[in-house]
Amino acid sequence: MDETEVKEYRWEGGYEKTWEEVKEDEVGNVEWSVKEIIEKSKRLLATRQPNVRLGMMRHLFVIVDSSNSMVEKDLKPTRQLCTYKLLQDFIQDYFDQNPISQLGLITTRNSSAERISELSGNRKYHLEELKKTFGDFNYCNGLMSVQNSLEIALSVMKMLPSHTSKEILIIGSSLSSCDPGEINTTIEMLKTNNIRVSMIHLAAEVRMFRHLCNETKGKHNVIVDDVHFKHILWSLVEPVPLPNSVDASCVKMGFPQELEQKPPFTTCSCHLAEGGKLNAKGFFCPQCNSKYCELPVECKCCGLILVSSLHLARSLHHLVPIKPFIKIELEEGSSAYCYGCRKRIKVPAENVYFCESCKKHYCDGCDIYVHNTLHVCPGCAVKRDEKR
Amino acid sequence: MQSETPKKIFSSLLVIILDVNPAQDTLLSGEIKLSSILSSVVAFANSHLMLRTHNKVAVLASDPNSCDFIYSDQDELDFKKKTVSSCKMGGSQYELFSHIDRSIKFNIVKFLKDAAEEPHMSRDTVFGASCAKALCYINRLQSNLFPGETMNSRILIISGCDNEGDKYIRCMNTFFTAQKQNVAIDVCSLTHDVTLLKQACYITEGSYFRMPKLEGLLLYLQWIFLTEPSSRKKLVIPLAPQLDFRPFCFCHGTLTAIGFVCSLCLTIYCKISPICTTCEAVFKVRSAIAVKPKKKKIKTTTVNN
Repeated sequence: MDETEVKEYRWEGGYEKTWEEVKEDEVGNVEWSVKEIIEKSKRLLATRQPNVRLGMMRHLFVIVDSSNSMVEKDLKPTRQLCTYKLLQDFIQDYFDQNPISQLGLITTRNSSAERISELSGNRKYHLEELKKTFGDFNYCNGLMSVQNSLEIALSVMKMLPSHTSKEILIIGSSLSSCDPGEINTTIEMLKTNNIRVSMIHLAAEVRMFRHLCNETKGKHNVIVDDVHFKHILWSLVEPVPLPNSVDASCVKMGFPQELEQKPPFTTCSCHLAEGGKLNAKGFFCPQCNSKYCELPVECKCCGLILVSSLHLARSLHHLVPIKPFIKIELEEGSSAYCYGCRKRIKVPAENVYFCESCKKHYCDGCDIYVHNTLHVCPGCAVKRDEKR
Repeated sequence: MQSETPKKIFSSLLVIILDVNPAQDTLLSGEIKLSSILSSVVAFANSHLMLRTHNKVAVLASDPNSCDFIYSDQDELDFKKKTVSSCKMGGSQYELFSHIDRSIKFNIVKFLKDAAEEPHMSRDTVFGASCAKALCYINRLQSNLFPGETMNSRILIISGCDNEGDKYIRCMNTFFTAQKQNVAIDVCSLTHDVTLLKQACYITEGSYFRMPKLEGLLLYLQWIFLTEPSSRKKLVIPLAPQLDFRPFCFCHGTLTAIGFVCSLCLTIYCKISPICTTCEAVFKVRSAIAVKPKKKKIKTTTVNN
């Protein structure tokens, strides 16, 4: 976190010779050098430190600015539609990577804030609520109010148990905020509740917002274009390290079995209010035996968190990151096969990567794929002497 | 390779993972020979290629110590380099088929010879690693597609192991990746019911099938696994098995319906413990319990005054 505070602005820093990064090869082509830079940026996404306490159970509120400024057309087609599209992907990715975490949505317009979806682990619900409100062309109106939306998030997050990672993400587009009171008291409240506020701003940096993020140990980002926006959102999908003040705890969870009922059939508790249909299959809470059609869910009757062991397994790869592979030089003329995809690597033209623990060679594509998506090194998976 | 055509090309890639673990019950008891399994697999691979011109196939062999491709696109390149006349062997057989037959048999002998040099440390085949390799391969072919070309991929595991000892996290990671990339994992088990592989089918929406008897492997393969997963709904196919997703706890290894999960490393305990044995975190007792004695103390002091 110190790094962001020390960092100067571009115009304050020394003269950067960006063109020196691009080098010509013997024939005078720069293609190779550009490729290298692109690949470096892909790899940056994948570097993670092992042995860090991560917040595996996250509670995240996304505050979406729905002020007038969202109608600007600097992002194509408009800021609103671009944000809407990316936010949909973000919600999907968030639940893919953090299946036992929860998310809530807040919009702010007309100088006030509105909770459009409660904290819950059901992605369909969030996507539907988002579509109903923010997906509407005429939704954005008036001014943004950061303090009002933070207060709403705070009122919910105060009640959460202490072991969870509490986070707020603000997607801001307006350069001003219409607040009813002193924002510093709100920041103090956020700090005492261990809530981390991150911000993605679509236009420019505002000192107050930067201050808010720094104080609460979040990240402040200003986007360059839609691709950059997507990258930053993706970086927020991964679980963040927990602050030291957060305690570990033993959370009681239920692991219901999927059972088929004999007639008479019943409705599930999750769709009871909407007059749900009768169905035979369902998950039954091991504590109070109420029926649910989907997992993960918090039992409405007894409050037990119901998950499947698959949900827990899905988050485990965050805890055991793979070491980065090293780039090595092979003798010219020698040929190497990629251990992952069995591609023949042409030695001087393509890079060869090497896994230190299993001593196997990998090609460019597999290196990125293994670290970003697969989270398993095929060579190390053959060995059996490692933990877990 | 092929000239670019404006037409849309559909193709389907099938990666077969063949368990050649010598400690399989079926092979030990001599009920079925590896060579007969192999010939069924080759015939099955050929019938997959016959369905569409652009279909592709790859075969992986896997045992407890290693796993490697015994047929991949590198072998296919060898075939294209050779002249047609040198490939012709089996009379009227299509040249590619006889090439596949020969290269699979040649490579598997090489694989088994290499494997025989190292002593086997365990009886369980490394499915996690072979699935990971298969996914890497699929990923490479997927990214090398021509514009306008779409490719469905799936993995078929043929095994006769009662494999429960493979590393759980690694396997699960590969299965989840397969699900994310729409790669179905099908399993044809020769003898035992394997829970891990059943879960793989459940996660990726593939088909699971345990052979009732060992004869007619090819028949079963063609009946269930030749069709694409999307069109299997229209066929009469054995139902997916019921699965139990209750986990085994770390402390006693028993099935738990209500467990206690460490908030940092997600280890499951069947009873509350003060310290997590995996990540050595000390659990804090809920504040609701801790606050109570404080209040009492204050009260007692006021009474004394």
